[in-house]
Amino acid sequence: MTVLSGTWPKLTSAEEFRFLSDLVLTRSSADQTIVRLRDHHAGTTRFANNQVIQNVDARRGSLAVTVAFGGQQGTASTTDFTAGAIQDALARAERIARVSPVDPEYLPPPDPCLFPERATAKPETLAAGPVKRLEYANEAIGHCRMENFMAAGVVATSRTAVGIAASNGLFGYEVRGDARFSLTVQTGDATGWSAAAHRSIDHLKVQERTLAAIAKAKRGRDVCEMPAGQYPVILEPAAVAGLWAWVLWSLDAKSYTKGTSPFAGKLGQAIVDERLTLKNHPDHADLLGEGFTHDGLPSTASLWIDHGILKQLVYDRFTAKADGINPIPTLEAPALSIAGAPAQSIQDLMKNTDRAILVTNFWYIRPVNPQDLTLTGMTRDGTFLIEKGEIVSAVKNFRFHESPIRAFRHLTAWTTPMEAVNSETGKMLVPALALPHFRFSSVTRF
Amino acid sequence: MSSPTWDEFAELALKRITASGAEYGDIRIQDSSTEHIEGEDRRIAAIRDIKDVGFGVRVLYHGAWGFAASSVLSLEDVPRVANLAIEIARGSASVALEKVRLVPEPVHRDRVITPYRIDPFTIPLEKKTDLLLNTMETLHRQSGIARSSASLWARRDRKLFVSTEGSRVEFDLLAGQGDCTATALHEGRFASRSFNTPHLRKGYELIEEADLLREASRVAAQAIEKVKAPAVDAGQYDLVLDPEHLSLTIHESCGHPSELDRALGYEANYAGTSFLTPEKLGNFRYGSPCVNLVADNTEPETMAATGYDDDGVSCQQWDIVRNGVFVGYCTNREVASKIGESRSRGSNRADGWSSVPMVRIANIGLEPGSATVDELIADVKHGIYIEGHGSYSIDQRRYNFQFGGDAFWLIEHGRRTHMLRDVIYHGITPEFWNSCDGVADRTARDRYGFITCGKGQPGQSGWMTHAASPARFRQIHVIRGEGSA
Repeated sequence: MTVLSGTWPKLTSAEEFRFLSDLVLTRSSADQTIVRLRDHHAGTTRFANNQVIQNVDARRGSLAVTVAFGGQQGTASTTDFTAGAIQDALARAERIARVSPVDPEYLPPPDPCLFPERATAKPETLAAGPVKRLEYANEAIGHCRMENFMAAGVVATSRTAVGIAASNGLFGYEVRGDARFSLTVQTGDATGWSAAAHRSIDHLKVQERTLAAIAKAKRGRDVCEMPAGQYPVILEPAAVAGLWAWVLWSLDAKSYTKGTSPFAGKLGQAIVDERLTLKNHPDHADLLGEGFTHDGLPSTASLWIDHGILKQLVYDRFTAKADGINPIPTLEAPALSIAGAPAQSIQDLMKNTDRAILVTNFWYIRPVNPQDLTLTGMTRDGTFLIEKGEIVSAVKNFRFHESPIRAFRHLTAWTTPMEAVNSETGKMLVPALALPHFRFSSVTRF
Repeated sequence: MSSPTWDEFAELALKRITASGAEYGDIRIQDSSTEHIEGEDRRIAAIRDIKDVGFGVRVLYHGAWGFAASSVLSLEDVPRVANLAIEIARGSASVALEKVRLVPEPVHRDRVITPYRIDPFTIPLEKKTDLLLNTMETLHRQSGIARSSASLWARRDRKLFVSTEGSRVEFDLLAGQGDCTATALHEGRFASRSFNTPHLRKGYELIEEADLLREASRVAAQAIEKVKAPAVDAGQYDLVLDPEHLSLTIHESCGHPSELDRALGYEANYAGTSFLTPEKLGNFRYGSPCVNLVADNTEPETMAATGYDDDGVSCQQWDIVRNGVFVGYCTNREVASKIGESRSRGSNRADGWSSVPMVRIANIGLEPGSATVDELIADVKHGIYIEGHGSYSIDQRRYNFQFGGDAFWLIEHGRRTHMLRDVIYHGITPEFWNSCDGVADRTARDRYGFITCGKGQPGQSGWMTHAASPARFRQIHVIRGEGSA
């Protein structure tokens, strides 16, 4: 295989984006104009039943032009970067804006500022192409074949040039790269799973994660059925992240103001165990921090939950202005930590447990009641009964019916924060957690 | 010099594929226009006009796939992308155990155009924003409505599919949708009620016929009634489910498990597998004898009725469940032979030029029965009538599901009485469909489409429509959708 990628296609450079944005900004007749770039090149090698089933590579460049005439605004985008197409996008945006009603929440672009420079583009990831992806996929498949197990998963890499330029001089440009690996190991009805996402492809730890997924699948072969009900649980980091993702998505300030948030009236109050603290850590090497947001705001370190107390909400610029919030905090690199002595590992958490259900991951988590953030979802790819410090059996998967606001009110024990990612959430740093009560409402057939 | 035509680009790519020794290849060139207008709380929050042009090249080399795509449609990039797809396929082939063999399909040379009366892209923008603003004002006229939203969506896809087998199909497809939602506040509690037109392949007549303003009055009044309604008491209930609600139930509990690629393990790492494994085909009792679920990608106006799929296979109609027995899968040219079928069902679709096609749920609908809706309700002593979509979740093999809804009415002694809130029901798919003892007749049939069906890695959004008449299900376990349940 001769294609190494990394060199072609060449992403739009900062200079090229400045040229393209100037093409728009100098021709725009609007009061304010913003140009946004997203030039995305991604490849995925997907495997199932121990062989490659899909091997793809795609590049999509997109420029979006937003213009405003005194609060009337419009946005048009194009994937064609020729001068004529870009001018057409500007003309379409202007046409929309001129006939749009005035948006009472319109704000001009943020003032220019120096965005923090972050290590968002690791050379080893940018250079990785189909050959590297295939090599990693083969490594995972090989380990599974040796065990006579079935492997299904992906190795994916991407690099994205992101830019924002505005008529007031605001300018930001950043290349972001990431690499992802996830693997489901099957043996009969038993499955094991592991996943990783990192700025550096060298940190995917394919072998380690493959062996972890194989170990889960092996332990899942002898399965018993437990009745639905309330149990003590140990949630592995991916399961914790799955629940916390919904907490993060529910912190919208506008809903809070309008009284349609599960946190309405709770700013400044304890919402979870007093030992829990949630921060945004965009400079953490294991998180996917960015230099700036879609709105052209700098991404910053910030405190969201301080010893259980809700300190911050997710603000749009209009609501932030109304509430006097400046700067607006961002939450693209969440890290959950716990005060107090942690267990050294998940194994140690289990050793100190008399009886609990160990959950590897949750799947298809959806809100049941936005009022109290009751969620439902299934356990997946490794659910076990722990008795007297040891896994005694795999158990059939449960459906849960629980609110993270209730579940995280009381913690029994925890580990140090670990990298966590699953198929439905972004990446976080979270500990594995032992909780005294967690409600499982029904059981499935496997 | 004039720019090359799409056919010239296609020829450029296919020549490379043929010369490489690959056994099959195709190219899809697509130009998509999307207009999305979103209103929120009495304001137009966003108007987006999106032009998305690009092409994807798919190559089958020595029984293994490669795919590459780009938004740069040029004489330089088309051959480079084709070469990349070939190289990737060669890489896949180097580790392939079982070779992909495509089942045959006749060569098609055709043009598919969505019939429409009113082109949504010609309607003045002011008319659309006025409609949304008036809709939201109507919602807020009802005392107690705290929040509102309304939106319009329209999409046109112009596409050219050309394969090395000689098929050439041009598409000019249209789709649209509109909706509004009211959120009511009462004593610190909030509840929402929505109206959605179905996603359909129609012109702006879909919006005009829907009469959003009239629906907004009803939606607002019902949002207030819902927020003040008593919470359901947990227990066993007979359920009568309306077509919009059933569209989601069908989608999750029948649609996904009937995707053959899932049943074969292709989705094991993400969307999951299926309890409808191949040995069950033709003998598994999926539902009661009154349950007939039919895939129909030929029904006009439905989302998957695109004439041909992205394998170049013509759209078809076939049974998934007949008289309660599981009898058919959604397939593509790659997987059809794995269950001994000699032709694909034509259900291989990608969500755009940059995505590789995969097996997608067809337009699967519940065939009408013979009862009237009133007759279905009249035979319920203690039940709930459910409309619309709410909470939904289902396990990775599609057995254990849990659904909410958008609006609920208590049925007592054959009569729909007052609204309820926080209704959630759950069950096991075949047990649930075996509890179906009545489906309303064709006069109550309605269709609802989806454009956000998630599947695949990288993730893609599938489009399909599910039609149904209201249906009755006996003794379903209902819980209260709040923490105290």
